Amino acid sequence: MNIWESFKIALSSIWNHKIRSILTMLGIIIGVAAVIIIVAIGQGTKKQMTNELFSTDKNAIQIYYEYIPPEGETEMFWQEPELTSEDIQTLAEVPGVKAVVATNQGWGMMTHDDEQGEMQITGVGAEFFPARDIKVVEGRALYAADNDGLNRVVLIDTIAREKFFKETETPIGEIINLNDNPYKVVGVYESPLPEQFRNTETGEMLMPRSVISMMFGNREIEQLSVIASDPENISETGRLAADTLTTEKGLEDGKYSTNDFEDYERELNTMISLLTLLIGSIAGISLLVGGIGVMNIMLVSVTERTREIGLRKAIGATRRKILLQFLIESITLTSLGGLIGIGLAAVGSILVSKFSPITATVSPLIVLIGVSFSALIGIIFGMLPANKASKLSPIEALRYE
Amino acid sequence: MMKLSNITKVYGKGSLEVPVLHGIDLTIEDGEFVAIMGPSGSGKSTLMNIIGFLDYPSSGTYELNGEQIASAKESILAKLRNEHVGFVFQQFFMFPRDNAIKNVASPLVYAGVSKRERTSRAKDLLVKVGLGDRMKHLPNQLSGGQKQRVAIARALVNNPTILLADEPTGALDSNTSGQIMKLFTQLNEEGKTVIIVTHEEEIAAYAKRIITIKDGRITDDRRVTS
Ligand SMILES: Nc1ncnc2c1ncn2[C@@H]1O[C@H](COP(=O)(O)OP(=O)(O)O)[C@@H](O)[C@H]1O
Ligand SMILES: [Mg+2]
Repeated sequence: MNIWESFKIALSSIWNHKIRSILTMLGIIIGVAAVIIIVAIGQGTKKQMTNELFSTDKNAIQIYYEYIPPEGETEMFWQEPELTSEDIQTLAEVPGVKAVVATNQGWGMMTHDDEQGEMQITGVGAEFFPARDIKVVEGRALYAADNDGLNRVVLIDTIAREKFFKETETPIGEIINLNDNPYKVVGVYESPLPEQFRNTETGEMLMPRSVISMMFGNREIEQLSVIASDPENISETGRLAADTLTTEKGLEDGKYSTNDFEDYERELNTMISLLTLLIGSIAGISLLVGGIGVMNIMLVSVTERTREIGLRKAIGATRRKILLQFLIESITLTSLGGLIGIGLAAVGSILVSKFSPITATVSPLIVLIGVSFSALIGIIFGMLPANKASKLSPIEALRYE
Repeated sequence: MMKLSNITKVYGKGSLEVPVLHGIDLTIEDGEFVAIMGPSGSGKSTLMNIIGFLDYPSSGTYELNGEQIASAKESILAKLRNEHVGFVFQQFFMFPRDNAIKNVASPLVYAGVSKRERTSRAKDLLVKVGLGDRMKHLPNQLSGGQKQRVAIARALVNNPTILLADEPTGALDSNTSGQIMKLFTQLNEEGKTVIIVTHEEEIAAYAKRIITIKDGRITDDRRVTS
């Protein structure tokens, strides 16, 4: 008798006792469904939170200054150290750093012809363009010389170009007013904003950060971030860069740090692992109870079918074949329970994804594990009854009333 | 050829010991038609089960075609049951959810015969025992006599050399019993060794050799010359 035939016999025996089988499988169904749905939600949550964390810039990490008051003193008035182009050069040489992006910010009322509007201005250097993948569509980008020479030049984005200039007009070389000071437009760049936000914005512009510093009185470098050549190592690269800068500046009452995503991620992982463990134990107990239920029902089945077992032995079934038949029956029972559990978990994941912000995903791996695990339960808890069946003496079994 | 020497059987253990067979010596040649007679409780079924490899004797030797099998492993006995003997019981013993064909074919499942072959052999045998028109019937749709025919077909399906029947007509009326016994006679004429346990003279009369047991001992062994 081959496995397939044992399997068919097992299926028909399960089918012949539908209600009993379903009740027996319930523990397995609940256990497997719970495990899979929790893992799915856990993975979904993690994926979503990681996406949120890293979505703005996959491989850029911000470096900021942190003031550490001396021992015993409370936080007093403190000033952030000035950053210079030498500092930027030092950072650029830190291993793993692909580029350094140093910026400052300003706001200004831009007027041109009859149009006017509030504009956000980012002060940048030449390195900004390749580092942030800025696409210049008309004119040119900024040169290092623009910063050094305090050139009063700007690039406007495509949104501002649409707002302030006619399509037929070329803005390059035009003079615009910003807070009543004249600047020359040298280029137009593709707005990095997503399409759906573009029409609500007034547009943005880029200018040399030295000019922002001079005209608006800001510090020349307000935001500093490094771009890692390998996004995988972003946290290490960022930390190394921050430490290098701290050493370079010889700081005593402060230091440079990065937002450590790794810490955050680790915390998140711990939380999810804890939750998974908790639900996992509940599911484990449910599976254990389910397994015992399966064992119980298989023992009942062996007793009920004592005569059948005797008859099978009388017509030539070996112990091994009887053992196999009952084992396959319990494996079929638990695997079927596992499959139903997976089905429920899949439906549950769809519902969770639909009615909550989390996208719960049932991975093929977890399905595989779920099925194998429930099959394993079938083997473990089916062994005793199957063994009992196989050891029955044929005549005793046939005499059984 | 089967040669049983000094076979004993004791059921139970310790103070609950029930000695049932006391030194049975018995040789049965291929092709014989034997009836084992005796009162109820005399040990007929016990002897039959030992002859048919369903049970182990407590002592003694059992030689089958020159080989010792009295203490053979369970798996070897299972193979012998499958290939060498066919059983027919008083209570028929059917698989209640399987139709006549599947019941007849069931021993072949353990012999590793393909499904197609199983079905075709089972159908042939059902025709042979006169149930060509009942092949798809379930056991509960068959009369006692028909069930016993299915059981006989099942006993024959793996082409055994020996047919063992323990009170095969015990649950049948005399008319049906006669038909069943004629079937056994026919099978014996075709070359099968047939051993039947019975306590009825009329049934034993079909056999060519009648062995009588009383209290676990053979008290009479005579050949009928027709
Ligand atoms: N498994 C058993 N355990 C204990 N006693 C048994 C068992 N099987 C049969 N016996 C006893 O052995 C004796 C012979 O039984 P059996 O061979 O069935 O007789 P028969 O078939 O001639 O009626 C009876 O007294 C019966 O009660
Ligand atoms: Mg008996």
